[in-house]
Amino acid sequence: MSELSVNHLLGIKYLNKQDIQLIFETADHFKEVINRPIKKVPSLRDITIANLFFENSTRTRLSFELAEKRLSADVINFSSAQSSVKKGETLIDTVNNILSMKVDMVVMRHPNPGAGVFLSKHVKASIVNAGDGAHEHPTQALLDSYSIREKYGEVKGKKIVIVGDILHSRVALSNIFALQLQGAQVMVCGPKTLIPKYIDKLGVKVETNLRTALNWCDVANMLRVQNERMDISYFPSTREYTQQFGVNKELLDSLDKEITIMHPGPINRGVEITSDVADSKQSIILEQVQNGVAIRMAVIYLLASKIKQ
Amino acid sequence: MNILIKSATIIDPKSEFHNTTQDILVEKGIISQIGQHLKNPKKYQEITFENLHISQGWFDSSVCFGEPGFEERETIKNGLKTAAVSGFTTVAMNANTHPVIDSNSDIAFVQSKAQNHSVTLLAIGALTRESKGEDLAELYDMKNAGAIAFYDYKKPIANPNLMKLALQYTSNFDGLVCSFPQDNKITGLGVMNENITSTSLGLKGNPNLSEELQVSRDLFLLEYTQGKLHIPTISTAGSVSLIREAKKKKLDVTCSVAIHNLFFTDDIITDFNTAYKVLPPLRTQEDVDALIEGVKDGTIDMVTSDHNPIDIELKKVEFDHAAYGTIGLESAFGALQSLFTLKKTIDILTKGKARFGIEQSTINIGNALNVTLFNPDIKYTFSTKDIISKSKNAIFENQALKGKAYGIISNGQLFLN
Repeated sequence: MSELSVNHLLGIKYLNKQDIQLIFETADHFKEVINRPIKKVPSLRDITIANLFFENSTRTRLSFELAEKRLSADVINFSSAQSSVKKGETLIDTVNNILSMKVDMVVMRHPNPGAGVFLSKHVKASIVNAGDGAHEHPTQALLDSYSIREKYGEVKGKKIVIVGDILHSRVALSNIFALQLQGAQVMVCGPKTLIPKYIDKLGVKVETNLRTALNWCDVANMLRVQNERMDISYFPSTREYTQQFGVNKELLDSLDKEITIMHPGPINRGVEITSDVADSKQSIILEQVQNGVAIRMAVIYLLASKIKQ
Repeated sequence: MNILIKSATIIDPKSEFHNTTQDILVEKGIISQIGQHLKNPKKYQEITFENLHISQGWFDSSVCFGEPGFEERETIKNGLKTAAVSGFTTVAMNANTHPVIDSNSDIAFVQSKAQNHSVTLLAIGALTRESKGEDLAELYDMKNAGAIAFYDYKKPIANPNLMKLALQYTSNFDGLVCSFPQDNKITGLGVMNENITSTSLGLKGNPNLSEELQVSRDLFLLEYTQGKLHIPTISTAGSVSLIREAKKKKLDVTCSVAIHNLFFTDDIITDFNTAYKVLPPLRTQEDVDALIEGVKDGTIDMVTSDHNPIDIELKKVEFDHAAYGTIGLESAFGALQSLFTLKKTIDILTKGKARFGIEQSTINIGNALNVTLFNPDIKYTFSTKDIISKSKNAIFENQALKGKAYGIISNGQLFLN
């Protein structure tokens, strides 16, 4: 099989195992490309991509833009912290206006869950979801799995704990779907107020004691607390959160085995992980960032090849 | 009105002709003869339809027509036409208009718009001024103007003391208070049922707990005040249990359920389809089973279409931003028949009136004719061509339904589709 089963990347839940395998194999190639002296290939010279960010983003937007440019695509950027609805224009109208300038693909980040799915039903372009509310962030999950595969050889059979604000996290949800699809075991860990009540029905373990969770896992993916998505305080103070769910070097060194630390960024140093953990040899946080470009190149390349058909 | 209805199977347990096929002669709006092979010497209009059935006129306890203020969603005129085509002779219209129906002149306006129509429109007044949940509206005055109940449509009364006062105050004049079963603080930003589907879609959940807390609270207040309460559109198994227990205690409480909450479960919302965004939200199979049991054993007093036309601009948007609601009059009979027997369906469609103080007219000689004509056996897939409403937000689109109305005879008028 040499093409994706989907025309859009809306979420991991819409992919199959072979899709993930294909994306990883393609990313292997692009990772080699971006480490060459000339980091660019001409593959998408005839493709125009719009990056629409209706929510603040720095690293994801830069990573996508870099991936697009390394594939020689034409790129336009649109950023607005305000959602289109607040400005009085509907999302469909905003995107159709941009598409009428002959754009082939839309990379979109949006504060509402399902915005990408909604758009894919109403506009004629290939859609890449760069994060939709607390729903999915598929390229992040792909690069996370890719980084685990790089470190351990395969994802299958590995034990991964996702720590922190699971309730508001699209990274958590996409990671759960991606890891399970590849045969990994997944646990979530955090204060009960930040764990969805029915998450166990997705087949994940739930743990509220961080030490127990870390002793169980091979890899800990530490999430940021998403204060911007909270309508009420879900815990009394950051200090108290860190006391229970922050990883410091002392805790890391006291575990039964050497685990790997991941973080989707941006890190709140001293909150979910301390600096010495973030910068330790057990951390693969910067590898994740580099793999992000290769993964996004792979996704865009594979979707673009379906447009050309 | 003089007509002869030919070969109609009468479905009316209170009639001596129940479950028999008869001709019905109507003179000056009154049933003058019921019998086999009636003659028509005066050449009255004859009504004949394939597999014609006839029952008492159907009643819906909760519809929205948008007028005044939201005529782009629906007008009273077209709303009543929709009701007639769908077989309803009486509908209770909610106060969620702009301005809100919260005074006697508002009630009079709505009634004037429905004058001389075959469908009787009953007005529900707001419980609080502008439905803001702060101060009681002029309930006594509205009752005198014809309001049949008081309800801030889908807006819970957050202040328990205000609900207590409403129940006490209305008992002076036998007013019926309605309370939407939701605790807004628990619901928070929830937009669908809290469960596995909301979790996997990343949508905020609205848990059963929210509804059941409010129902519990209202039942405590009812016990204290000994007032008269109707809880519209319950959706959880827990609510059914709570109300069942309250009825055992002889509290004066009734409740309803929306047809779509009997038909669908939350797992149908797999791709963020806003047609399924309703309030209360679609729940689980366990809830649906308990609700159907509640309808069967009489714990739930009435089933409503909860007809709420919403224009496409408020539906064709991201799920979080989409308005709640679905139209339901057109699909009500067909959907109910997919869930219940014909006898039970007709019972459901005709029995809610008494709670609102409206008299029922049985199909017997000497009575005025207030009936629905229908064919219970037509099978069809509900589609946009079946929609009469101005707005097309139909949760039942593409569903296989059974049974259609032919029309109504009501208020001395014959309305045929």
